[in-house]
Amino acid sequence: MTPESQPATLRQFPHLRTPDHLATPTRHTTPMADTEHGRIAREYFEVRILRQDGPGQASYWERHRVKYEPDMNVISALQKIAAHPVTIDGQPVTPVAWECNCLEEVCGACTMVINGHVRQACTALVDRLLEQRASEIELRPMTKFPVLRDLVVDRGRLFHALKKTISWVAVDGYYDRGPGPPQSQEEQEQLYPLSHCMTCGCCVEACPQYAYAEVTRLEGETDEAFAARQAATYDRLFVGAHAISQVVLFNSHPTGRHMSGVRLDALIAEGGIQACGNAQNCVAVCPQKIPLTTSIARAGRASTAHTLHKWFER
Amino acid sequence: MATASNPRSFLARHEFLVRRLHSLTGLIPIGAFMTMHLAANASVLESPGTFQRTVYQIHSLGSLLPIVEWVFIFLPILFHGLLGLVIIRGGTMNTGAYPYASNVRYVLQRITGLIALVFIVSHVLHMHGWIHAEGWLEHVVRPLGGAQFRPYNAASTLGTAMQGTLIPLLYAMGLLACVFHLANGLWTMGITWGVWISPAAQRRATWGCAAVGSVLALLALAALRGAVTVDTHHAAEVENAMYEARVTAHELLPNEHKRARPQADHGRSARGAKVEGCW
Ligand code: HEM
Ligand code: SF4
Ligand code: SF4
Ligand code: FES
Repeated sequence: MTPESQPATLRQFPHLRTPDHLATPTRHTTPMADTEHGRIAREYFEVRILRQDGPGQASYWERHRVKYEPDMNVISALQKIAAHPVTIDGQPVTPVAWECNCLEEVCGACTMVINGHVRQACTALVDRLLEQRASEIELRPMTKFPVLRDLVVDRGRLFHALKKTISWVAVDGYYDRGPGPPQSQEEQEQLYPLSHCMTCGCCVEACPQYAYAEVTRLEGETDEAFAARQAATYDRLFVGAHAISQVVLFNSHPTGRHMSGVRLDALIAEGGIQACGNAQNCVAVCPQKIPLTTSIARAGRASTAHTLHKWFER
Repeated sequence: MATASNPRSFLARHEFLVRRLHSLTGLIPIGAFMTMHLAANASVLESPGTFQRTVYQIHSLGSLLPIVEWVFIFLPILFHGLLGLVIIRGGTMNTGAYPYASNVRYVLQRITGLIALVFIVSHVLHMHGWIHAEGWLEHVVRPLGGAQFRPYNAASTLGTAMQGTLIPLLYAMGLLACVFHLANGLWTMGITWGVWISPAAQRRATWGCAAVGSVLALLALAALRGAVTVDTHHAAEVENAMYEARVTAHELLPNEHKRARPQADHGRSARGAKVEGCW
């Protein structure tokens, strides 16, 4: 970025620079203007979407043509499709369903598989994607979770894993216990990155040890019975790197630490940390750059120590 | 949350301990044994006599040897290998979508594990025969070309078993697969057990494990080269002299089952040689 092309705030405060992967491309890198670099000036681009009308239904690919504008992201492309839900062959269709919320890669709601790679749609820039693959942008829902509709999945299993591992600090009670013990600067610096997890699911989507699971409702099953059966199933499957990392976060917290044994018990139960196969895809795809392999190693050491401790202290 | 209609398997109930034991057996005893085994076999490069002395040392365990073999080598390998198959089935490889180096190593760890399983099963059959019951050896193993190694004619029977091009080639593949599997397994053990935690420590560990792997690979290829290039006639003479001397000095109980027979014919065709009696 040349200084002139930067917003005034950035010129004044250069340390506020946007990280590279979030940076808006400058005008001259957009395909529209950049014909001399072999890119074709385009008016439209194509989006291929794996759609599904509802849970348990068959999925199908659908192609849309979207009017090109500079600086679009996948969400704005999806908005254009929703505004004019007609396929490339002129067939009117129902608008494609997707989720989004913060639009700045902090909530995780818009996570989907874009050009074969799991990431957030709100920070997936159309110009960059077309540089990668000029012919089309491919969108599909995450493959490890039940599809609710089109690009919307039920990521409940991620939250179930947080519940299973008691990934919070329990502070409820009748008494004011006063302020908690202070945390050293060093501890803060080590733990702050772990608190960035937005439960987006990228880590488990890319994990070869995390298998797709969908529990379907039985005929006449009540909500409660279905939820219990689903929870029992999720309990036995791999918790995922995000939950392992949250255990490290809360077991290192000066107040959260009081429940570290309970969390480690959850982490060595079926589907716990032992199911990790050390492929380290989680750490490679985590949009928050959370040092998940470090967390897995820490939790691995703590789990073994906890097990030995239980053997010899009981 | 198991229900009566859906009981959890033993493996599921003890998943953590079983997986920790799997990881541990990869290093102790299997990895440790493999390192010693390669070093011992590389001594054949020195001279057939050196190798024969190493083998006499191992066989000085006498009738304890089969117990040591089964408890510390065969059973751990079978446990680690068969559980490895279960673990491999539990994962879905996705290097197509996520071609990161560590993900490729994850896949290679599984592929080399499979090669190691096939290699070790056939290697033990080829040299040792797995079970030293005469009926089994006579009617199953020897017709397949197995049980060729004779501890009191160590280098010569080894050299004979390793003739040709196909067998040394298969051994090279199997050995390198085992070495990669151990070196990469060492790295992943550092995560499993929480030995290298920070990314910087993990980078150092990568160098360390690569160095261990390279040394083991050299050792493995040295042992293989030694085995392939044995002068079997000369080796058999040395071995027979050593045998006679030890028996005369009462250092060794005579045991024809641990020798190659017929000795005159040795080196030309141990494969076709008829071996009598139990071992
Ligand atoms: C017999 C066939 C074998 C098979 C099928 C096999 C399979 C496997 C598999 C699938 C893993 C990954 C475990 C995980 O990620 O949790 C593994 C890990 C390992 N294997 Fe093997 N293996 C075999 C033989 C060996 C041999 C011969 C050695 C030693 C030379 C060995 C040493 C290791 C080590 C050190 C690990 C690392 C454990 C960890 O990450 O915690 N394996 N093996
Ligand atoms: S650890 Fe990273 S990839 Fe996983 S859920 Fe949290 S933010 Fe997403
Ligand atoms: S390191 Fe473990 S949790 Fe992370 S992707 Fe690999 S198997 Fe999954
Ligand atoms: S909308 Fe929140 S991360 Fe994309």
